Amino acid sequence: MTGGDSGFFFTFFNLAVAKQYWPNIAAGMLVTVGVGIAVVVTGTVLGLWLAVVRALGRRALALPIVAFADIMRSLPPLVVLIVLYFGLPALGMPLSAFAVTWLSLSLVLAAYAEESIWAGICAVPSGQLEAARSTGMRWWQAMRWVVLPQALRRAVPPLTNRVISITKNTALGSVVALNEILNNAQGASSYAGNPTPLMMAAFAYLVVFLPLVVFSRWIEQRWQRR
Amino acid sequence: MPILEVSGLRKSYGSTEVLRGVDLHVDAGELVCVIGPSGSGKSTMLRCCNLLETPTGGRILANGHEVTSATVDINRLRQDIGMVFQQFNLYPHLTALDNVSLALRKVQRRSKAEAEAMAQTALEQVGLGAKAGSFPAELSGGQQQRVGIARAVALKPHVILFDEPTSALDPELVEDVLNVMRDLRHRGMTMLVVTHEMSFAHAAADRVVFMDGGVVVEQGSAADVFERPRETRTQSFLARYGSRRS
Amino acid sequence: MESLIQNFFNLEIYATVFPHLLRGLWTTVWLSALVIPLGAAVGLALALGFTQSGSRAVRWSIVGYIDFFRAFPPLVLLILIYFGGPFLGIELGKVTAVALAFVLNNASYYAEVFRAGLEGVVKGQMEAARSTGLTRAQALRHVVVPQAVKNVLPDLVGNSIEIVKLTSIASVVAMPELLRAARDAQSLVFNPSPVMLAAFMYLALLWPLTRWLGRLEHRRARR
Repeated sequence: MTGGDSGFFFTFFNLAVAKQYWPNIAAGMLVTVGVGIAVVVTGTVLGLWLAVVRALGRRALALPIVAFADIMRSLPPLVVLIVLYFGLPALGMPLSAFAVTWLSLSLVLAAYAEESIWAGICAVPSGQLEAARSTGMRWWQAMRWVVLPQALRRAVPPLTNRVISITKNTALGSVVALNEILNNAQGASSYAGNPTPLMMAAFAYLVVFLPLVVFSRWIEQRWQRR
Repeated sequence: MPILEVSGLRKSYGSTEVLRGVDLHVDAGELVCVIGPSGSGKSTMLRCCNLLETPTGGRILANGHEVTSATVDINRLRQDIGMVFQQFNLYPHLTALDNVSLALRKVQRRSKAEAEAMAQTALEQVGLGAKAGSFPAELSGGQQQRVGIARAVALKPHVILFDEPTSALDPELVEDVLNVMRDLRHRGMTMLVVTHEMSFAHAAADRVVFMDGGVVVEQGSAADVFERPRETRTQSFLARYGSRRS
Repeated sequence: MESLIQNFFNLEIYATVFPHLLRGLWTTVWLSALVIPLGAAVGLALALGFTQSGSRAVRWSIVGYIDFFRAFPPLVLLILIYFGGPFLGIELGKVTAVALAFVLNNASYYAEVFRAGLEGVVKGQMEAARSTGLTRAQALRHVVVPQAVKNVLPDLVGNSIEIVKLTSIASVVAMPELLRAARDAQSLVFNPSPVMLAAFMYLALLWPLTRWLGRLEHRRARR
């Protein structure tokens, strides 16, 4: 099946196969993007909430949060995914592949987001909180209007890298049969006996993530200058 | 009745006792300066007055309300007790106008228009009306501290606490801030100022309090403390730091 | 509750599969030990190429490489290399395919880290070194690169921890690392406990490293 140049293209860039399976890949893209967006939203919101709760300063609250962040950052995301995939049904909560992938990646992102935002909060001088509270603001008001705006400014650049890394892991969903790009491409490839769908998958991922990577570079430079 | 009354104030950090029973008071319209060597507990005492530090003993009354009570509504009280910090502590992500108006909007729940008008007035009062749209990074140290004063003044408190307001400033910028403070004094604001600026204390203060080792060693009119100190500790402190009539 | 323990914390099964998982853990460890230095070396070379080259073309192509592999999911890269290779007549062994995919992917992250580190070293350092007669290469080797590494040590460690976690992906191409060992054991005993045990083993390996990383980051923030 291989040989000269025409063989290579026939194998990897087979137009007939591509034509047949591109709707398949496109559908996978929708799922990839969908899970990705869902993960970013829930992961960052959860991470922010955890960091703020940790900032309250109560040990009983802070310890579980730190433990959560440590555990989620020490486990490979694939392991988290598989544990939840088999674990949740046993707890009486069977979730779809989409939900399980979304949940695992959100938890992982939340852990990283919490650490980044927490580091940002710690970097804001304590005088800021004091000044705000000395004008009669409640703690959460001071956090919302004075501390967090400054903390987030510091947290965002390293966080954008993390976000990209973790959302790329939507490909892991293929392991639990989520119908995202890779899974669809693998199915199509074995069906067609031709790896062109895999190349299409590669291309599809680049279309989705390359803009994000470029965007994150731009954000880093812009936030750096402030 | 004094605006601010401190009785038997004690503060310990672990086993170290920083304040060992401080008594002082500030009457309406007075400018009281607290002087003393580093480590005497002056700043700690000041920060106890608006509960940025928690006293371990004693009582503080501000405008008739007990600051040290267990049921105090500290956020209400802090609107009435202004504070100006040595490090200014301006919010770097907000303009001067927003720095001053933030508490007016969020704590006193005024409308944006009303808050900004009040903030603008406060800024004009400290001579920075034209800088309302500037960010702290664009202002000199003296200007930043004046914005800090405007931020405290805008809430119309009964008393303003100053924690070494000029210690972090370059010498040529100190006078601008002191002028604003003198001006405030003339408008009748009650002020408690911890400072190293002896000539300012001598000339502008109604009363001077000398603290050392966590207690008030001596207090009286500015003239009495600077020109006729009774205690030896006061005398040796003043001899070291000098006191010039301005 | 009972079924939860039976299914996930089954001590008997733990005992039975532990030796098998231990072998998987060993694979994880040596695979990481193979990929980390390679990835770091390629990354450093790329970063040096980027920061030292006067040529725009060189810089742009390096950035292109970095961004390309940052955008490309490692799992997809691995699958492409492992399953696509044979079509090209290239039969890569599992280890080679995995190592290639991981190094390609990870060198880009290392390159970013080293680039930030190199750019963070004050220009005066290079000037001072050259002014004493050191060649460019010597100045880099003895003055600039050591400082760059010191500045970004936490990020290097963090990235290395990521690689250890990344090895779990190789389970998809049946590389007998820890996760694969656990999944195989799972299908043999019809019980997910092995996966849970593998999770604990990952934690035992990586949690201390993550804590150490936290301390490194804390120390850096305080400087």
